[in-house]
Amino acid sequence: MARRGRPAGSTQPIETVPVRRWFRFLEAQGAQGIALPVTLLFSLLVRWCVSLHGYSGRGKPPLFGDYEAQRHWMELTIHLPPKEWYYFDLQYWGLDYPPLTAFQSWLCGLVAHWIDPSWVALGASRGIETHASKLFMRATVVVLEFAVFVPAVVLLFQSRQLRMPWAARQMATFCMLLQPGLVLIDHGHFQYNAVMLGFVVWAVYFALREKHVLMAVAFCCSFMFKQMALYFAPAVFFFLLAKCLQPPRSALLFVKLALAVLGTIGTMLLPWIHSPSQLQQILVRVFPVARGLYEDKVANVWCAVNVVVRLRSLLPVWSLVRLATAATVVAFLPACLHMFHAIRRQSRSQAGAADASRLFRYCLLNTSLAFFLFSFQAHEKSILIPLAPALMLIHEEERAVSWLVQVALFSNYPLLFRDGLHMPYWVLAAGWSFLRSRPGCSADKQTSSFVACLQWLTTLAMLAIHACHAVVPPPPSLPDIYAVLNATFSCVMFAAFFLYFNYRQFAGQRLGVTSAKQKTA
Amino acid sequence: MLDANEIAVLGVGAGIKLLLWPAYRSTDFEVHRNWLAITGSLPVRQWYYEDRSEWTLDYPPFFAWFEWALSHAARLWDPRIVDVDRLGYAAESCIAFQRLTVLISELVLFMALRRALRACGGDTAQGRIAAALVFLSPGFLLVDHVHFQYNGFLVGILVYSLAFALEGRDLLAGAAFAVLLCFKHIFVYIAPAYFVYLLRHYCVRGPGGGGGGGTGAAALRLAKLGSVVAAVFGAAFGPFVAMGQTQQLAARLFPFRRGLCHAFWAPNFWALYVAADRALAAAQFPRWLAAAADAGGGPPQLHSATRGRVGDTRFVVLPDVPPLGAFVATLAALAPACAVLLQRRCGPAQLVQAVVLCAHASFLFGWHVHEKAVILIVAPLGLVVAAAPSPRVLRMHTVLAAAGYFSLLPLLFGAQELPIKAAVLVIWMLCALALLRADGSSAWRCLMRAERLYVAGLAPLFALTELAPGVFGRMQFMPLALVSVYAALGVTYAWLGIVAAFLWDPPPPPPAA
Repeated sequence: MARRGRPAGSTQPIETVPVRRWFRFLEAQGAQGIALPVTLLFSLLVRWCVSLHGYSGRGKPPLFGDYEAQRHWMELTIHLPPKEWYYFDLQYWGLDYPPLTAFQSWLCGLVAHWIDPSWVALGASRGIETHASKLFMRATVVVLEFAVFVPAVVLLFQSRQLRMPWAARQMATFCMLLQPGLVLIDHGHFQYNAVMLGFVVWAVYFALREKHVLMAVAFCCSFMFKQMALYFAPAVFFFLLAKCLQPPRSALLFVKLALAVLGTIGTMLLPWIHSPSQLQQILVRVFPVARGLYEDKVANVWCAVNVVVRLRSLLPVWSLVRLATAATVVAFLPACLHMFHAIRRQSRSQAGAADASRLFRYCLLNTSLAFFLFSFQAHEKSILIPLAPALMLIHEEERAVSWLVQVALFSNYPLLFRDGLHMPYWVLAAGWSFLRSRPGCSADKQTSSFVACLQWLTTLAMLAIHACHAVVPPPPSLPDIYAVLNATFSCVMFAAFFLYFNYRQFAGQRLGVTSAKQKTA
Repeated sequence: MLDANEIAVLGVGAGIKLLLWPAYRSTDFEVHRNWLAITGSLPVRQWYYEDRSEWTLDYPPFFAWFEWALSHAARLWDPRIVDVDRLGYAAESCIAFQRLTVLISELVLFMALRRALRACGGDTAQGRIAAALVFLSPGFLLVDHVHFQYNGFLVGILVYSLAFALEGRDLLAGAAFAVLLCFKHIFVYIAPAYFVYLLRHYCVRGPGGGGGGGTGAAALRLAKLGSVVAAVFGAAFGPFVAMGQTQQLAARLFPFRRGLCHAFWAPNFWALYVAADRALAAAQFPRWLAAAADAGGGPPQLHSATRGRVGDTRFVVLPDVPPLGAFVATLAALAPACAVLLQRRCGPAQLVQAVVLCAHASFLFGWHVHEKAVILIVAPLGLVVAAAPSPRVLRMHTVLAAAGYFSLLPLLFGAQELPIKAAVLVIWMLCALALLRADGSSAWRCLMRAERLYVAGLAPLFALTELAPGVFGRMQFMPLALVSVYAALGVTYAWLGIVAAFLWDPPPPPPAA
């Protein structure tokens, strides 16, 4: 009665993680050929099914939500010249992402205009929520994700340099594509994070293939799409710097990289490059310092500290910015410097590329977690950014990454419930926990029963918070109690993960052994 | 207890099915809601007379009682669901409730498949894959969980009945089948298989085989079987007969006003017949092409066959087909099914084969067949595939499933469902092609070149009919007609192949103990 049968006659221990059992089974049946197509189609199916449900700001005039913001940008970019893009009616979802998002909106807007001009009519289309226009918007997210994110993930995990067993590659691909946080935020809530993260995965892929100029271009595309990708900037900077200083030192590479970065950014700013005031306006829109230390309830350190000390009322905004920046730098610097020194001293070799890539992915994870925890103006959705490098490490850090995904999804539930995404949230959360992590009954010997117990406990704690939220109304004096509880709990968890992954980065290099080898041994 | 694999199949299936809740629903959703309301709030004597909604109750009494049982839960969930006057009620709570009833009642199929697998010695990797492919087939996923019907539940009862037969409990199998008939009378098409099987295997041969006790004992067994079946039918129809509603019930259950072909042509022999008629007409009167361009549509005859909801089909060149003609053709086509059961070896395995053949024959030649009825062929054929099939059976299963499930796609005509139906069908086909095996080679390897071409040809056909229907211009009937004709070729071919396989292929080796 099961597609996921056990490989017959195999001497391997019984596999308890269903996803891996499925791929092992395909391997035993000699049906490896269908693994990738089925994974891709299943991802498409799940994404499209989620997209049938609610989205941000549905039926909530006058401002609606992120969905309307994206649609509105399509409307304004195709009807106005670029010099007005960052000035137009800022009160109604003024454009506040970097130029590549604007270009993407422009392109999607052209297609929309070609199909049905009423979807993007200037002014008249505000708040349009017809069935057809919604389908179009949903389709753009899927198409862009399958154009940028999906090929990068597939290529990365299929590349020979990674030295992973076949089933592990397939499982990593499956997990990265079906990570519920990204699916729910992009295809439920409505955003294009997968494009930004897709460029980051491309950058990691090019790093692995030692194509550093392309890597720099991909990363520039990433933060020119959404400035949040700058969470990765220190890691990428130190990685490339180390590559330039690696023996034999290459000044040429440095020059090429500088030209690539400046060229990419310059090209994207071309419509505005002649006017300093335009450039300044883009900068002001993209980095809205005035919005405050954080918005809503977010699972970072500042929001958690706020429970005890009201920082926002104690200090002016600019001091807060300095405080947050200093804390962030202190948090990400150890990981970055560690990677920098390790790679700089490394000799160039085939094996070296895999080790460097692994170290780079750890560093991306630690840096972005540092930004998420300590930076100024973080969103709860920004946890998707550390999740990307985390999932690229799923082979090395199976339990920790699955667990991190659970907590990250949990930290976003207030947002998802506001959008009416209860059903997809529960289905995907349960699906992920079941297919991927199965707390407590894993056969892998690497994690002790203590850690398994801990994962069980946190899972129960999250379920308990959900149950209380559903059953007990918050006391009138503390209306936000559940949101604060959620944010504080998640923040503690993320901080613990931050320390753990830092430890893993340092320990992994000191031992000089790739943990991939440990796993397969 | 369920093992991890079974939980995975149930879990993945349930996840997708839950996510599909907000998708398209056909009028069948309102049909069943109305039946919930009728059975939940009206006295039994009014069930088959109530006609405030156009969707009157036209299933046999057990289904009505099933709705009656559900209506109690519905009243607790949201009392407005069972309000007879609230026509077209489809609030979120109502959708959730009805979708949930499909999801839960489908578990009958799951448990039935488990039981049948154990009984037919198919509890192997192959058998489990075949059963999982039945349970998660596009047929149930698209028709039950999107379009909205209870096929999973009903086929579950059929599979239970087959499982009883496979376990050697013929009387119970007969009773279960009688119950099924009282749920949905469309299954009467496979009654001949049961009739012959029970008569020969249970009454004549007896439980031990070989005649068991002479004519007297056989007559006794016949009486026993007859009284069990009569008891079931009595329980279902008795009360309504007692209330003097026989005629009304008959009129509701057998509406003979319908035409030869359903609104979409089901991919059967008549689709080919109608298409041949149209092709001949086009050859005879090439002018109608020009006329079609002027008049904004095909010739009127074409509309009557393809567009009419229950309208009659008129033929241009070929002779008209009266209901009696279709009936005779169906009866004739049932011959192979009976032949399978009249062979020297006549066991439960032959019953399963005969059920497949009956369903297939009636699908091909029946009057006003729905394309959804293809599920009734592929599901029992899945049981044959589960237990060491011959390569020919596996080939035919592949062709039939590809053609039959493909022909279901036009049911979900909205752009919103396009990615869903495509992904579901292709995932299923990939798994079926790569994971089902006969004599150690996968289904894809078993296929002959022409069959491979046929299956692969569905992809361009999908692109043409679903993605670019604009190329047909004003001939809007063309996409549906093409799908029907192409699928009908596959279904007919598979029928011939299955008949040959069941009648002449050597029997599979007995399952390893």
